[in-house]
Amino acid sequence: LAIVRSDEPGQPKRFGLSAWKWAAVVLLLYVFAAGWLVPLNPGITRVAPDRVTAGDTVELTVEGYNTLFQSGGADLRAWLRLTGDTVLQAYSVEAKDERMLSARFYVPSVFPGRQERYPLSLIIDQGARGISVLPNAVFAVPSDQPNPADMARWTTDHIGHLHKPSGWVFPFRNILAETIRNTYFHVPLWFGMILLFGLSAWHAYRYYRRGDREDDAWSVSYIQAGLLFGVLGLVTGMLWAKYTWNAYWSWDVKQNMAAIALLIYAGLMVLRGSVEDSLQRARLSAGYNLFAFALLIPLLFIIPRLTDSLHPGNGGNPALGGEDLDNRMRLVFYPAVIGFTLLGAWIAQLVYRIGKLARRT
Amino acid sequence: MRAYGFGAFALVLMSSVTLSAQAPAGTDFLRSTGKIYVVAAVCLVILAALFIYLIRLDRRLSNLEKRLPNE
Repeated sequence: LAIVRSDEPGQPKRFGLSAWKWAAVVLLLYVFAAGWLVPLNPGITRVAPDRVTAGDTVELTVEGYNTLFQSGGADLRAWLRLTGDTVLQAYSVEAKDERMLSARFYVPSVFPGRQERYPLSLIIDQGARGISVLPNAVFAVPSDQPNPADMARWTTDHIGHLHKPSGWVFPFRNILAETIRNTYFHVPLWFGMILLFGLSAWHAYRYYRRGDREDDAWSVSYIQAGLLFGVLGLVTGMLWAKYTWNAYWSWDVKQNMAAIALLIYAGLMVLRGSVEDSLQRARLSAGYNLFAFALLIPLLFIIPRLTDSLHPGNGGNPALGGEDLDNRMRLVFYPAVIGFTLLGAWIAQLVYRIGKLARRT
Repeated sequence: MRAYGFGAFALVLMSSVTLSAQAPAGTDFLRSTGKIYVVAAVCLVILAALFIYLIRLDRRLSNLEKRLPNE
């Protein structure tokens, strides 16, 4: 904090810029490079047909992503999985090209347990690129003439010797696909915004304690940078949502509450613009600021967790864990959070310095 | 009741997502190649907004410089 504030003429600089600004440059260059260049795990994007009849053979045409079906070697295997160890292995797997294969299965006429539809996940494994899974890839319809002897088929096939992907890769998630990379661009904007608003609230508190006008100036600078990040977070989230939730705005509780939080802070700027007297403006805005920050926490972190939400980390959806953010992603994600936050502090500092110059002229 | 409602909603949403993800593959540019262009769009939005903000700051600074007395 003191570093951001002390960046005035006469401070030690390298090539005309203080070290923390260079850190922002280096970290963000790294984040954009790694976030774009590290490849994705293989995945399954399409399976046809998606409906099979029990007691019949079926040929599934499978479209993969980042796969090497043709050139990746002959150890290509496929399974349909009902639950746990209850699997069926394909009796023939034939690669058409790098991304297309056809797998033939005999679907037994009887299933363990009785359901109207049996959802089956497709698992494909190849040594070259590793395992990929598509949950609920096909649905099996029960047979008219069940043959109890078929039950034995479920116990003969086993999944074994699966290949884990090697090297630095990001997880392939269904629906998300490559957009998982937005974790490094969309999420850090919100982390940055919260930290910037936090700094702003801290300066508002300091203004209350000491009445120093400088604190008011810093407080409003952080809000401007935070608002920029917040609006960007909202717009990038809408773009991401369009291609994963299928709508820019689905009135999801996380979207609504984030929009309300931004409106509260925008209201603070409107309030500042409408007060002529600078002392009164500083006092009003310090009070409003503390209330706004106190509201930010329940709006972004508590209310969305209380109800159902599409957004990860809310309404029972996990976030920042599992396959949505594994350790290989953290190598980019945490530098992104630090880098974007430093960039926000840099922008806030520029706003502050311009404001200071404006007060002098 | 509410869980059912959400379940149905999620199912409709998921199915519409998978349907739309399957139907126009190849026709929809942003959905092609593993939706990588969504990431490109997000990065372009961030870059564009940062530049617009930078230009605004630059203009404010230029105005201030005009008002400052020349030394």
